[in-house]
Amino acid sequence: MINNMPMIAVGALFVIGLYGVLFKRNIIKIAIAVSVVESSTNLFLIVLGYRTGGSIPVYTLAGDFKKMVLPTPQALTLTAIVIGLATTALLLTLIMLLYKHYETLDVYEIRRLRG
Amino acid sequence: MSWQVHLPALVLSVPLLGAFVALLMVKPILRNLWFTFILVATTVLAFLLWRRVGISGTMVYVMGGEKWNLTLPSGMALPIRIIMEVDAFGAFMILTGSLATLASGLFSIRFLDRVHDGNKFVALFFLLFTGMLGLEATGDLFNFFVFLEIASVASFGLIAFWRDSPEAVEASFKYAVLSIFVALLFLIGVGILYGIYGTLNMAAVAKNMQVGFLEKVALVLFITSMAMKCGAVPLHMWEPDAYGQAPAGVSCFLVVVGQASLYGMFRIAFSVYGQAFQGSVLAWIIIVFGLLSMFIGVIMAVIQKEAKRLMAYHCISQTGYMLMGIGLGLLALSSPQAMSEYGFTAMKGGIFHIINNAMYKGLLFLTAGSLFYATGTTELDKLGGISRNMPYTTMMFAVAAAAIAGLPPFNGFVSKLLIYESSFVVHPFLAVVAMVTSILTLASFVKVFQSGFLGPSREELASTREVPLTMIVGMSVLCLMILGLSLMPNWALSNLIEPAARDLVNQASYIQAVMGSGL
Amino acid sequence: MTIGTLYTGFGYWNVYAWIMFFAIGALVVLFIRFTGRSDYEKGTYQDEVFYGGNPVPQDGEDLAVPASSSYWGFTKALASFYEVLVNLHTGILSDYMGFLIVTAAIISLLILL
Repeated sequence: MINNMPMIAVGALFVIGLYGVLFKRNIIKIAIAVSVVESSTNLFLIVLGYRTGGSIPVYTLAGDFKKMVLPTPQALTLTAIVIGLATTALLLTLIMLLYKHYETLDVYEIRRLRG
Repeated sequence: MSWQVHLPALVLSVPLLGAFVALLMVKPILRNLWFTFILVATTVLAFLLWRRVGISGTMVYVMGGEKWNLTLPSGMALPIRIIMEVDAFGAFMILTGSLATLASGLFSIRFLDRVHDGNKFVALFFLLFTGMLGLEATGDLFNFFVFLEIASVASFGLIAFWRDSPEAVEASFKYAVLSIFVALLFLIGVGILYGIYGTLNMAAVAKNMQVGFLEKVALVLFITSMAMKCGAVPLHMWEPDAYGQAPAGVSCFLVVVGQASLYGMFRIAFSVYGQAFQGSVLAWIIIVFGLLSMFIGVIMAVIQKEAKRLMAYHCISQTGYMLMGIGLGLLALSSPQAMSEYGFTAMKGGIFHIINNAMYKGLLFLTAGSLFYATGTTELDKLGGISRNMPYTTMMFAVAAAAIAGLPPFNGFVSKLLIYESSFVVHPFLAVVAMVTSILTLASFVKVFQSGFLGPSREELASTREVPLTMIVGMSVLCLMILGLSLMPNWALSNLIEPAARDLVNQASYIQAVMGSGL
Repeated sequence: MTIGTLYTGFGYWNVYAWIMFFAIGALVVLFIRFTGRSDYEKGTYQDEVFYGGNPVPQDGEDLAVPASSSYWGFTKALASFYEVLVNLHTGILSDYMGFLIVTAAIISLLILL
């Protein structure tokens, strides 16, 4: 059970983020919810590569340890974080422009394009 | 050992270089020259890549390895580096994408004179180009995600390029939230596969693939995310907004970027899962996506009043043809008899439709763009009688509209014929839906032609002039491609389409190119 | 042979056949035109636009059928169907997200079970 805690945290974060994206009306909250989903994905990747009792995956620094955590998921996570930064910044920029044009942050009001 | 072995890397790095250098261009004329130069250079590289793949088979390229073809260093069971893998289907997609991009780039040059930050436009344009080519060239699942995000981020910027227009920002925002979310779903799928197989390389995953519960979860995530990115109904709602609000040259480009996601879906369905996924559920899901996209896309297009939004709905319905054609191929994958009976013909139709759609849909968006350039509007109620003032644009529009409606002798007819006849074997209902879609397509373009181009001239449009030369050149590239494909369907089928279809079906050769023959 | 017969496995497609057909069609059209009335004279009242007996408007805008009126009967007949479809495209991001989740759920039901 205790070993599955990180996976449960991943699931919980994902569901919270999904709830926010689906049911929140404020677009800033939607952007935050997208970031929460992103964090759950990153946590998922890190948990994938974790080995109990493993050391850092660098040979020169690892010391006597024979077991290391997997390096690839960490590289993936770093990349995903950088991409997440870019997308979050862009989302917030778009929200700023939307607020200037529509003077509201309610997602139900921002619907000129329909039909 | 010629330099051409580096083509898979070059075709990505040239537009990437173009993107960052474009920001430094101080004079508009320099920027325009640079823009044209990189566009032409990338298209030439894409052509060379396609030819080389046609001659020597699937190409692999190891990024950062000691040798370009050292996919499996000795003693390793799995590839460790990022590997580019281009088979005939990938090369075909790269060639199609580059040609459409060349046209939309040439078209956009004069449009850039009207904006202040043209350098940024060029930079985003090339980033999107890199992202699209990367999606089609990579053989690595995580790398696919990275290119997906590069393409997405660049396209958010390009869709909202007219940031003073509220609708453009709104379209970009909706697309951004959906697209970031599905990219994360895709990443979770990649993580699941990595957790099971310990590798990110598509060929290595495919070699060890044994479909259990977790693999099915990953497949669901992949299919959902790619279906959303290519705009299959009922996940299409962002598409008319985004394509309708983007600058016209970009809309033409976004069509081929959407097809890159389609490529991703087929690559995962055929090459990564392939016959390891038992049963026909996946194929039927793709076919039903195709049917819904075809019909609902076109039925919504008939009632649109804005030219670009109408064309965007058609884009959805044309995607349906490709989904159905290649879905039928997937249905026949496990049985050689079904494959020879209808599957291969359907796949040929679907793949032929990819290049056809890229050409005529791109051309339609460009004509909408020149309408906007000349008159300042694409609202069909405000247009009328343009054909006297803009003869070239009118002619190109007529060609493209006839091609998309599948009127003989144009190329759209050939690919639709292949799809009709093969889908009829599976179930007549599929062919009926495809034909009804085709009729409604014709109906809605007759409407655009009648209300936009024909009819009596209007006083406020009397001073409309034909668009500048570079725009006409951009449109002519696509127009000539349409005419060529129409008059020589046999050549196109035997040289472009059949190798692509064969390589897509042949999972073993895709695996062998990376993993070697030592099974 | 680049321009030739394309076999689809069920039938064939040939550009030459199309050109022949087109030429025959053109001949038929020319023949019909040739049998038309011979008492037409240019520059007389016969050239005037017939607008239901009313005076012809000067600006083309008043004369043309606007795009929003095209296929009026078609859309009118299918009005209830179109109402459902158009109402699906609400323009609200949350609804689009809901469609995504529901589709993912349906696909996973189909694939996992």
